[in-house]
Amino acid sequence: MIPLNWVVALGAALFAIGAVGVLVRKNPLIMFMAAEMMWNAAALVFVTFARSFHDMTGQVMAFIIIGTAAAEVGIGLAIIVSVYHHRHRLDIDEVSELKG
Amino acid sequence: MSGALGPEYTIVLGVFATMIMVMLAKNRTILAYWAALAAVVVSGVWTIILWSDRALPLSLYAQGVTVDGFSLVINGLVLLASAGALLIGWNDERYGADFPALVLLALLGMMVLGLANNFLVLFLGIELLSLPLYILAASGGYAESREAGLKYLLLGAFSSGILLFGLALLYGASGTMVFTQLGNSPLILPLAGAGLALTVVGLVFKLGIIPFHMWVPDVYEGSPLPVTSYMAFGTKVAAAAVLLRFLFFGFSLAVGWWEPALGYLAVLTMVAGNLLALAQKDMKRLLAYSGIANAGYVLVGISAHNQSGARAMLFYLLVYGLAVLAAFAVFTMVAGDRKSVSLNDLTGLARRSPWLTAFLTVAMLSLAGIPLTGGFVGKFYLLQAALYANEPGLAIGLVVGAMIGLAAYVRPLQRAFQAGDGAVVPIRWPIAGAVVVIIAVLGTIGLGVYPAPIVHIVNHSAAFDWLH
Repeated sequence: MIPLNWVVALGAALFAIGAVGVLVRKNPLIMFMAAEMMWNAAALVFVTFARSFHDMTGQVMAFIIIGTAAAEVGIGLAIIVSVYHHRHRLDIDEVSELKG
Repeated sequence: MSGALGPEYTIVLGVFATMIMVMLAKNRTILAYWAALAAVVVSGVWTIILWSDRALPLSLYAQGVTVDGFSLVINGLVLLASAGALLIGWNDERYGADFPALVLLALLGMMVLGLANNFLVLFLGIELLSLPLYILAASGGYAESREAGLKYLLLGAFSSGILLFGLALLYGASGTMVFTQLGNSPLILPLAGAGLALTVVGLVFKLGIIPFHMWVPDVYEGSPLPVTSYMAFGTKVAAAAVLLRFLFFGFSLAVGWWEPALGYLAVLTMVAGNLLALAQKDMKRLLAYSGIANAGYVLVGISAHNQSGARAMLFYLLVYGLAVLAAFAVFTMVAGDRKSVSLNDLTGLARRSPWLTAFLTVAMLSLAGIPLTGGFVGKFYLLQAALYANEPGLAIGLVVGAMIGLAAYVRPLQRAFQAGDGAVVPIRWPIAGAVVVIIAVLGTIGLGVYPAPIVHIVNHSAAFDWLH
């Protein structure tokens, strides 16, 4: 069996990659994907700990995270598409009419 | 008792009713607004009935939710916020047919956050609150609104990710998901520290505390006016409520872990938020920075980590919300068909509409904390709580922040009393908006002159006996 620490370290690595992705990428789609990666890293860590505790609540949490992420993707893609419709390019630096 | 979650069930039914009405009408329909408002009113009445119920506090669903005085007061606050948003955007063709249903859904999320006593419920509440607000922010139908929706979505998903990872680490460190059991379980230290830090950062992101505030001004400026008022009042209440419950229920024994950090963040937010508000020309942006600064005041109540802090925080949320509702109702009327109000649009407002100017004056003076308005009493209680907790730094930060804020809030008033050039254009008064502004202004003055009844309610709600 894979030691607990390794899986948690994998989760932390995924989380860090996701966080860096949100902060440095310019394309809203990629940024959104990176944010979803952070969610999935959390779900992985929840499942890992739930398994080591023999406790079901962590597993339930993972399912809730997956379901909520699906809902969020539905809304998120709709918003991204509506922004794309009006400028036909996706670059977060160009979506900047609001500043100050 | 089975009726303890009645207010929440009422809102669920209200969501269904509004959606069915929009489906039947195949268009925007005034009936949906009435159904939503009725659900809010029934839920409010049920909350008041529960208040006198002796069975409270009550823990349901394996301690997943707690119905107590605190959650009932939060219910009342967010119901007020959503009624205000519904009335400010009443039957407005600009915001789409699903505006009332989305407002109710976000309201449900806020109410769930007031009840949360478990990571699962906390996360569900945050998402139930955020997802409808992403759509609402983008629902204005113009480019800035879509941009606001996009930015809110990306930053919201990012901060939810941080929050979730923090919760996962806390679960690993303690083996439990229930707030009240966190204190009793042996914590694995580095894991618990990292988890607590990430969770607090995630929640503070939602609250809009500096340095996690970058999204707030853009989202507030781009969103339609009623949605901005909803975000400024409702989401602040919900985020502050869940942060308070999480820290007070879960980490009341480990105050040293979070209290200093939150204290520094509060002082930074109060001072910097008010400084940034000074330079703003757009009124929605001004209220965004005011919202950031006020989140700092709210954080004072949390970092005072005593009962008077929790009470002062609840009281302050009410006075802040009333002032924000009054200001947004006035700005909506001044804006008319335009998307936003700038300083120049306010020039000559005293000539165009003396009443609206008077109402705006009350709202702005309350935000600044002038005596005889609720804002003064709210800041007074926060100051008292900070001094009880032996935190003079917090008290000094609060006073300095309020002094800077006064200058920011007086600028729009100064413009309003300037003589405008050109013809005096009268302002249309929609009945719904007038109701909001009159109730909010009466409440603001009432709380400033005679706060005793609300103070009594708040004192009974935040009765966390394990705090001193």
